[in-house]
Amino acid sequence: MNNKQFLTELSGKCKLSSEQTERQVQALIGVMENLWHEGDSVSLSGFGVLEVKKKNERVSVNPTTGVRMLVPPKLVLTYKPSSILKEKLK
Amino acid sequence: MDRKINLSQLADLLSQAGGISKTASEQFVKNFFDIISQNVLSDGLVKVKGLGTFKVLQMEDRESVNVNTGERFIIEGHQKISFSPDPELKDRINKPFSAFETVEITAEQAEEISKAGSQSESTSDSDESDNTDLNPVAIEPEKTDEKENDDEKEAIEKKSPEVNDVTQKKSVRVLLKILVWLLSISLAIVLGVYLLWPVLGNTILGIVERDITDSRKTEVVADSTGSAVAPVRETSPVKPAEPVTKPAEPVTKPAEPVSKPAEPAVESAGKSETSPQKPQTPAGNAAAKDETPVNPYRFQLNKADEAKDLSEFTAADTVNYTMDGDMTVHVLQSGETITVLALKYYGSKKLWPYIVKYNNISNANTLRPGAKIRIPVLRSK
Repeated sequence: MNNKQFLTELSGKCKLSSEQTERQVQALIGVMENLWHEGDSVSLSGFGVLEVKKKNERVSVNPTTGVRMLVPPKLVLTYKPSSILKEKLK
Repeated sequence: MDRKINLSQLADLLSQAGGISKTASEQFVKNFFDIISQNVLSDGLVKVKGLGTFKVLQMEDRESVNVNTGERFIIEGHQKISFSPDPELKDRINKPFSAFETVEITAEQAEEISKAGSQSESTSDSDESDNTDLNPVAIEPEKTDEKENDDEKEAIEKKSPEVNDVTQKKSVRVLLKILVWLLSISLAIVLGVYLLWPVLGNTILGIVERDITDSRKTEVVADSTGSAVAPVRETSPVKPAEPVTKPAEPVTKPAEPVSKPAEPAVESAGKSETSPQKPQTPAGNAAAKDETPVNPYRFQLNKADEAKDLSEFTAADTVNYTMDGDMTVHVLQSGETITVLALKYYGSKKLWPYIVKYNNISNANTLRPGAKIRIPVLRSK
């Protein structure tokens, strides 16, 4: 399902025009991004948790060339599905 | 900070930001995530522009080992939901750390880091276990390497061939083995020098000082006479930095520029004759020092660097000077090494890492005669 299909379905469910839907989606993502920047996590029952995690720096070795690289620390947005959703997947 | 935002709080914030009623925004947020979770189950893929992609991944059966008992067991294949954030969002999230870049490091540094990081690694285990599925390739080689290291040490101590049989299962491991060999040898050398330093240090330092004062004298002599032959001048920048090694080296070297007319040192000598009024320009190379008593490219190494053994210098030591354009291009001759070039152009073997870094040489031991090496101009920071 691509972005277009997603927007169409969302606008149908919320009874909004496609432009309104698109604006709202951007607003929602913007709100969540601000929360992530502050270090908060977004947790929704039945869906899961979206939060920012810090990955430590590490040394990685290219197995074919043996070149060692120092990979810097980084902040990554992670998603952990809720147990309900995982259960449905089985 | 570290709050857990639930549906109603998120809807609250959205209604403030979007200027819509609270009930409408709550309904919207609910639908938003419902659609994602439903369709990721039915379609296996949901793409939301600006947020990212949710995807169902099929995980194969894999074997694992119980850490406590050492028992092998099979993790059955299962499906899992992965999420990869939109690249733009990813960059914005990582903005606080965006200044860092992945850098290439040497084996010695890797070992230091792994030693220093071993404590922090154990504390951040929970983080990494979450992460293992995402980048198993990146983490595992490091671990096998550490294991190899232990194996290797045993092999050296006992000199038992059985250990080799075990380690030579995969070609990758063989590669790692060679690396570890080199590492342990270099460590042994460093250790040996470190132990012998108190004995040798004083005598060597004495020689260095005497050599430097000697060379200053010869420079002054060359200045006053003015028109010495170029090859003879060449020896003066070479000499002071040759405190430890045998005198045979500096004697053979000055002969090279003469026999090979393409040699940049000779060119520079010609240049300096045509433009003697500009002794500070890069054209000054080695010959410029004859016009001015101070050679711009011979460095007074700082004391910390002076005290260090040559073998302790690595590519990461390129911090005290900035590289500022090409001084010249050197065509590598048979028998020359990067350290010899450093000695020739800068007057110190210890500055070799700059040449390596400037030319992006990944392995200085595999250079062939005829290779063109660019020599950077160094300036103090």
